[in-house]
Amino acid sequence: MKVTFPHMGNIYIAVKALFDGLGMEYVIPPMNSQEALTVGSRYSPEEICLPFKIMVGNYIKAIEQGADTVILTGSCGPCRFGEYCELQMNLMKDLGYHLDFIVLDMPKDIGIKELFKRICKISSPSSKSTYEKVMALKNAIKVMDLIDEIEASAHYLAGFERNKGQCKEILEECKREVMNFSNPKVMIETLKDYREKLKYISVDINKNPLKVAIIGEIYTVIEPFSNFNIEDKLMDYGVSTKRGLTPSWWVKNMVMSPFKLNSIKIKQSSKKYLSMAIGGHARECVGEAVLAKKEGFDGAIQIFPMGCMPEIVSKSILPTISKDENFPIMSLVVDDMTGEAGYITRVEAFIDLLERRRSNVLFGS
Amino acid sequence: MIFFIVQCPRNPTANGVGVDLLKGGIMKIGIPKGLLYCKYHPFLTTFFTKLGCDIVISEDTNKNILDAGVKYCVDEACMPVKIFHGHVASIKDRCDILVIPRIMQLWKNEYICPKFCGLPEMVINSIDNLPPTISEPIYATSQKKLYNWAKAAGKYLGKSNNKVRLAFHSALNAQRDYEEGIFDKGYEVNVALIGHPYNIYDSFSNMNLVKKLNKLGIGIVTGEFTHEDTLRDVVKKLYKKPFWTFTRENYGFAVNVAKEKIVDGIIYVSSFNCGPDSIIIELIKNSLPHFPFLILKIDEHTGEAGIDTRIEAFADMLERRTRIESNFSTHG
Repeated sequence: MKVTFPHMGNIYIAVKALFDGLGMEYVIPPMNSQEALTVGSRYSPEEICLPFKIMVGNYIKAIEQGADTVILTGSCGPCRFGEYCELQMNLMKDLGYHLDFIVLDMPKDIGIKELFKRICKISSPSSKSTYEKVMALKNAIKVMDLIDEIEASAHYLAGFERNKGQCKEILEECKREVMNFSNPKVMIETLKDYREKLKYISVDINKNPLKVAIIGEIYTVIEPFSNFNIEDKLMDYGVSTKRGLTPSWWVKNMVMSPFKLNSIKIKQSSKKYLSMAIGGHARECVGEAVLAKKEGFDGAIQIFPMGCMPEIVSKSILPTISKDENFPIMSLVVDDMTGEAGYITRVEAFIDLLERRRSNVLFGS
Repeated sequence: MIFFIVQCPRNPTANGVGVDLLKGGIMKIGIPKGLLYCKYHPFLTTFFTKLGCDIVISEDTNKNILDAGVKYCVDEACMPVKIFHGHVASIKDRCDILVIPRIMQLWKNEYICPKFCGLPEMVINSIDNLPPTISEPIYATSQKKLYNWAKAAGKYLGKSNNKVRLAFHSALNAQRDYEEGIFDKGYEVNVALIGHPYNIYDSFSNMNLVKKLNKLGIGIVTGEFTHEDTLRDVVKKLYKKPFWTFTRENYGFAVNVAKEKIVDGIIYVSSFNCGPDSIIIELIKNSLPHFPFLILKIDEHTGEAGIDTRIEAFADMLERRTRIESNFSTHG
């Protein structure tokens, strides 16, 4: 069994740590590129959302490298993501690939027994003991937390750095270097080194950079290819960014959700505008917009794939938040046809707008 | 699952707010004729009439309503949601309280679409000067849960529990007595008309599709006549149980009628950019690769001539299949 998985941001680093820990064979699909998207959209249904197309591209690229099993998380919320597995199975079968899917769904929908069965199926080829397997999972989660933390602080510090481009450089170097090791323990140590390194870069605390929150649909905000590396670009502009939705947040949220203790802060701040979970991450999007204003951010950018149902609801709510809180929010819709130039122009114009607002006499009032 | 009563941000929904509005006489309740109104109007109208309210129902969908909907709604939404916005805009000045049904679940563990769950928020944040709204979530999974909605709505209008209970039961009876669905008989060629109910029964948005098909000599069968158990049996064959009510119903119906040979073809009416439809259509295509299957995409720009051509071509094809080529294999 050679396992593969779809890309989503830095999740590949954590998955590498997991399978190295388990001592199993796996394939990391080539990083997302226009090629993967072209292949994906050629075979995908026309009206499906962007993540589906990129994922199909990932699978096909991974199969070329010998993968035969896909691991996918599922959901049974009202968002389309939950139906991906069924469609992708049919699609890959029709294309003539023999691909096995292991879908990790929430236990309340498939039953805890079935979930364990599926988890056992993933880890069965591993010769490690149960204790080692658990440790591998723990290490992988640690890696995920660390890389998310490093990324978040690099994105935030980018606005304050004295040597322009230093944060971006460190972040890229970190991602490159951590992939050279196959021992999860060493990976964790490397990441910790980089975390320290970021702490000691020279920053100008008197600077008051623009701060922008990235909100929206989880896949498109996390996966840099689908949002045209918006966070890297904002780093280049010297803008500090914050993104609440990360893979480590997702795991934490999922674990806490049966006890209804997940993301309490977001729930509280979104209550005024959207009082219930409507699927996807609409409530998180609304809550984060409100939170960003409270935390003194200058603006927010919402990114979602064309036709994303939950985000359409949050998009209709955001103008009200913008009006009530005097907080600029821009919505960007991405799909496989989005032109990069037009997209960048809008981001630049938005940054200009935020900059000029500051020189307005009424700013902050 | 216990859900508290939802309070909408800009509309005060304290208990009995409606009582204050009653000063001028009988309260007027506005019910927009959009989305699932076509399916559940007996319940809604009976409930509020029995509570002693006047009901104001918007007109049938027309060009003005669609235009208003396009004006107010976010661009990315699908046409039925835009039409709903248009209906709200057309009656908002003529009623004291507006009912925006937030239908969360019709069956246990099944949803309709995220836009239904967030419909009140979409409308309230898009249209200005709205009257107060009744937008408590509707869980129609059991009579008891549905009654929670009635209780909340009644409380909001300042009605006594007893009155609410009576109104609720007569509304339920009215809904049970109401028979919907089309089952044409006496046509040589029959097709199954599938899609979300608001696309099938709104003759404006689907441009009189039912009449046009009948005129072409095609009988229509809709999904309401298939038994719930049959649908569930069909759906069991899927890897994952669909979590949208209409996915389950439409998929189950399509596969069942095709297998039972009740119809000669399937016409799927889908609104552009509909999330669930993009999945259902693929599922049906996968299960019925060799069955005549026409997908009609409708949106606010649909040209009628294009639709006509496609229906006519499909009708011609079906006719030839049944009359001339009936002895050939379906995919030879």
